This record gives sequence, structure tokens and C-alpha cells, in this order.
Amino acid sequence: MTLPVLCRRAFYDLRQDLCAQFMTTIVVSLSILIFAFFTLLYFNLQRFVERFGTELGLTVFLTEDTPKDRIPGLYQDLAGLPGVEKVTYISSEEAFKRLENFLKDEKEVLEGVDPKFLPPSFEIQINRAIFQLERIKQLAGEIDKWPEVSKVQYGQEWIDRLYIFSGFIRIIVAITGILLLFTAAFVVTNTIKLTVYARQEELEIMRLVGATNMFIQGPFLVEAFLQGLLGSSLALGIVFAFYRFLQGIEAKSELLRGVNICFIPWHYTVAIISSSVLLCVLGTALAMRRFLRL
Amino acid sequence: MISLESSIIRFKDVSKAYSQDNIVFSGIDLEIEKGEFVFLTGPSGVGKSTMLRILFCAERPTSGEVWVDGVTLSSLSNSQVPYLRRKIGVIFQDFKLLSNRTIFDNVALSLEVTGLGKKQAEKRVMQVLEGVGLTGKTSYYPLHLSGGEQQRVAIARAVVNRPPIVLADEPTGNLDLQRTEETMMLMEELNARGATIIFATHDERLFKNTHRRVLRLLNGKIGIQ
Repeated sequence: MTLPVLCRRAFYDLRQDLCAQFMTTIVVSLSILIFAFFTLLYFNLQRFVERFGTELGLTVFLTEDTPKDRIPGLYQDLAGLPGVEKVTYISSEEAFKRLENFLKDEKEVLEGVDPKFLPPSFEIQINRAIFQLERIKQLAGEIDKWPEVSKVQYGQEWIDRLYIFSGFIRIIVAITGILLLFTAAFVVTNTIKLTVYARQEELEIMRLVGATNMFIQGPFLVEAFLQGLLGSSLALGIVFAFYRFLQGIEAKSELLRGVNICFIPWHYTVAIISSSVLLCVLGTALAMRRFLRL
Repeated sequence: MISLESSIIRFKDVSKAYSQDNIVFSGIDLEIEKGEFVFLTGPSGVGKSTMLRILFCAERPTSGEVWVDGVTLSSLSNSQVPYLRRKIGVIFQDFKLLSNRTIFDNVALSLEVTGLGKKQAEKRVMQVLEGVGLTGKTSYYPLHLSGGEQQRVAIARAVVNRPPIVLADEPTGNLDLQRTEETMMLMEELNARGATIIFATHDERLFKNTHRRVLRLLNGKIGIQ
């Protein structure tokens, strides 16, 4: 059976049972839609955690008695650490100025205070590409052991919380993904079974006149392929529209500006569509197996 | 006496039982010659349809061996069965037509499964529909036709790919006398063109004055007259 004949027969069958085919596609689409929403949420959260963690960086406070001539050496040591992108030295005076700027109109509270009361520090920016919470922790631990260092700060509590939340979302995405994909496969399998039951006589007649299993099964597999493809594409299309909508809100909102909402990476969208197609086709092949036995 | 070389169908010690208490027939030995027209008769439920179903592999015998057009059925794998079925045209009492397809499409189905080109198939379908007197009704649906016409469509579908064997399972069971005669004439015509025909019927009037072989199935055994 040639491909054009197969497609012609599949489209003929689709027209014959448009309602059932439409319902199956909608069910596939809804399942993928829920999964895709979670995936979108996960990737944005992941991105936020990464950005947040990277932007926070590390602040290394030095002891008050650190000699000034040790600063260039410490700078070099810090800059040479793996994963460190940029090191900025903040002297006690600079820190004092920042505090004054921060206090603005209320800076008079600092009157009479020694400008050197704040400890000198180094601000370290971490390379975003290799960001990992464990790496930051390890780095902080290493630096903290240096004799000139009094304290290392890196917003640990926040990053820890976000990281745990992000991991939690990842588990939810994985579980819902598996459940929803299997739900879609189950529904498709059963819809196909019902379609096959309804067309049992037709299949029997086909077998009677010498149709091979491929001839009988072919159009069903093409239908399943289309259901998987259309269902998942429709779902991802809706999620994409939602993403564009959020982008619009982000552009207008002061609060959200700079959040940089991202869409599901392209290789994940390809994987979602492929899995959906594969499950629909496999589900159909499974549903038809019993009917094709002689 | 039929020589082995000229026989197109052969049963050797064939038995069929659904359980120990439900034996349909046993020890059937039978040979049917190429181009022969035989009647298979016997009371309802005696196993006529089962014998035919064994021939097109819808059922397998419990024991014994069956040959169809030189092929040993027990050696046939499931994937080879469709190719055997293309050599056998089957006509049923209940016509088994697809109600959602036109007469043309119903007949064309037999050719579609073989992968014959569209133009060639169209030509053959029109030829065979002309042969059964349904040229003007190609775009009709089965339910728009009378019982006799539906049976002619079923015959057209069974013979459109020119099978060497035609199995007719009570094809006149639902027809009145006139339609029965028309169907019998069509079967005679097919046979005259060289098809081997096994005509299963319990209606004795159909072979009352025939010169054809009549196989009588009774109490699980076959008798020939």
C-alpha cells in the first residue's frame, strides 16, 4: 500500500468519524496543555532561581585588621577561583558611601560615625553558565576558611528555599507529565478501541477480501499520528499564546520588568510533540492488536 | 474419481470440534476439481459454514489437512492468510456489505486491498457491476437497494478480482424465488468462466434436477450424490 493510498484512506475514515476523532484530539490536547503549563512554570522558576542566585553572588567580608597590602593578593586569589566571573573590592569608605546613598534623606543618622566602621569586602559574581547551589556553598565554605575573612554571605536562605521549591516543581512536572501522557495514551487507546468496535464489521469484511494487517491498521495509525501531532501542537500553541500574553504584561508592569519570562526550550517542545505522537501511535497499535488476530 | 493434479480443494481426514461434546464433523475426505460447481447441503447447524470458513482460514481444523489451490493450510502463517483469501471470493447470506460505502466502493474494496491502480480498478468494477446488472446504481448505498440487488453487489465484490474459487454460504437464503433464480444464473455464469464454486445451501430445490455433485453433510460425515 503506497503512502498516498494510506493517507487517502485515513482522511476518508477521519471524515466518516469526525466527532470521535475531534474528541480524542481534544483530550490529547488538554492533557498536554496541563503538562505544558507546568513545564513553562518550571522553566521560568528555574531561570529565576539561577538569575537570582547569580545576581546575589557572594560578599566576602574581611577582618578589620587585614593589612591593605594583602588586598591585591586576596583579589588575585578570589579571581582565580573556579566559577568566579568578577571580583570587586569595596573598601570601608566605599561601603560607607553606599550606606549614605541608601539612607538618602536620613543619612544624618551617620553623623559622627567613623567612616571606617564598616568592614572592607569583596563582591564576587558567579559565572551564570556553571551556577549550582552546591558550588556556591562549597565556594563560600572554602573562602570562609581564609584567615583574612570574617564572614561570607550569599543569601543562602533565599537560594535554599527557591532551590527546594524549584526541585519540588520539577518533581510535580515529572509526575504530572508521566501521568498525563499515560492518561492521554489510555484515552486514545480506548477511543480507538471504541472506534474499532464500531467498525468491527468493516474490518471483518476487509479481512475477508484479503486485506493485510497493515492495510487495516495503517489508516488508524495515521489517524493516531495526526491526533498526537495536532493535539500536542494545539496545546503548545495555547501555552505559547499565554507566554506572549505574560510577556505583554511584563513589558507594561514595573514590578515584573526584568523578570525575562522564557518559553519552554525548543528541544523540550519537540520532545513533548514526539512523545505525544509516539504514545498515540503505540496506544492505537496496542488497541488494535486483539482485532488483528486471526 | 478426481485426480490429485486437477483438484483445487482437498480435505484429508479433517475434523472440527469446539469441545469434546461439540464435534461438528470428523474424518472428512474430499476433493473438488478445478472448475467444478458443487453443492454442499445438509440441515442447518450441521457444519456447512464451518467447512467454508476452514477454506478461507477464518477457522482452523482440529485435525487433518486441507489444501487450497496447492497450498497446505496448516503451513500457512497468519501473515500469508490475506494472500490466500484473495484467491477466494466469499458470498454470504447476509451480504456483509459496508452500509457507509457506495456500491462502487464496496466492490472496489476487493481490488483496493490488492493494491491495483485506481484506473484499472475502476474499469474492472464497472465491468463486473455491468455483469450483475447494476451499472446505473454505482453511487447508491446498500440500504437503497433491494435484497436481490444487495446480493448481486456481494457477488460482484466476491468475483471482481477474478478468484479461482468462489464460496457461497447460503447466498439465496434471504431472497425470493425470482431473485434466487437470478443469483443461480450468475453463479452458473461464473462457473462457466472457469471459477470453482462451492455452493452451501439447505434448500434442496436448488439442486433437485442438477447434474452437479451434491455433498451432503450429516451427523458429522459427508456423503456424495
